[in-house]
Amino acid sequence: MSLHCENIVKAYGGKDVLRDVTLDLQPGKIYGLIGRNGAGKTTLLSILSAQNPATRGSVTLDGDRVWENRKSLSRICFSRELNSNAESGLAAMKAKEYLRIAATYYDGWDKALEERLVKLFDLNLKKKLGKMNKGMLSMITIVVALCSKASYTFLDEPVAGLDVVAREQFYKLLLEEYASSGRTFVVSTHIIEEAADVLEEVIILHEGKILLTADTQAFVDSAVHVSGKIEEVDAAVAGLEVHHTETVGRSKGVTVFLKPGQAVDENRDVSVQPVSLQRAFVALCGEEEVKQ
Amino acid sequence: MNERLTEQKSIYLQISEMIETDILRGILLEEEQVPSTNELAKLYTINPATAAKGVGLLVDEDILYKRRGIGMFVSKGAREKILAKRRAAFAENHVAPLLAEAKSLGISREELLSMIGERNI
Repeated sequence: MSLHCENIVKAYGGKDVLRDVTLDLQPGKIYGLIGRNGAGKTTLLSILSAQNPATRGSVTLDGDRVWENRKSLSRICFSRELNSNAESGLAAMKAKEYLRIAATYYDGWDKALEERLVKLFDLNLKKKLGKMNKGMLSMITIVVALCSKASYTFLDEPVAGLDVVAREQFYKLLLEEYASSGRTFVVSTHIIEEAADVLEEVIILHEGKILLTADTQAFVDSAVHVSGKIEEVDAAVAGLEVHHTETVGRSKGVTVFLKPGQAVDENRDVSVQPVSLQRAFVALCGEEEVKQ
Repeated sequence: MNERLTEQKSIYLQISEMIETDILRGILLEEEQVPSTNELAKLYTINPATAAKGVGLLVDEDILYKRRGIGMFVSKGAREKILAKRRAAFAENHVAPLLAEAKSLGISREELLSMIGERNI
């Protein structure tokens, strides 16, 4: 029982956007898909939801192929990021029509929830998508995602256009829907810190490859920042996986990823501090990584 | 239950400590129901699995117990248990870092003891 993709390759004009991606999404979890711009997040989500064909590889839902399979697809919702520019072809469409089309596509569409969210977000559905601001468009994509009731629901940068109050509201709604339905959500976001506590698992996509899938807490707990005099730091982290080294004068700071059973040498005169998901991500995907 | 979460510690540990603190302060009483993991998840905007892990720690220590089909309750004697546990951890969690800082600042044992003596508890 899962949404599974195996050895997915996607090539655009000779460049591999996704390189051999294998992923297993379990029912009843909230996943975070994080990665830098151009890492392939949107491409991966569109292939998982069969909105885009893979160059190679397969996607299956509970063992059945997803491509052109109406039954499987009504259980997968990819609520794409909307933008209001004219070339998308959606600019002239009223929000109301957009929601009505979405409602016909998903068998389990929750009309009562739609009405509640439209009211909560104070959305004017008579407005054309092309006339809506970024925040409103984000809200429309959230309405589609939550009301679709799809077993596997993907949200691509759902909070990008939202202010901080609306972002918090979104995460609470997501948790409420998750608690009452046990659906699986995959949320891609750049605003990592706010999402960190909501995500049960993180999937880090880097340059078209899955760098890591892990329990969020376990991943964050495995990373620590060690700082102090250069020699002391070097001795304390000898033999460990070191990333993101920064040196100022005699002082040095590194982010260390500990494997089970490993520890920083506490007999050295160094500070050992916990690291946030965002810092751990930067240490892993930042440019100046130094491996020992 | 209304403290803020920090980044300095795992969220599930903070959840279990907050529930403990509320029991110590008499905000949650023995034999009283505690918020469900879904309520905690929504309150703190955290994943319910994380909240459940924090609550689970307290169940393992018999500070909370589960009533089938109803929810989690504070055990009888929970307050005493938490007090005993925190007292036992006091030297490690509070005295040891105090001594370490005193040492790095060159504060002598006598100076430290007199600082403590000057303060009312």
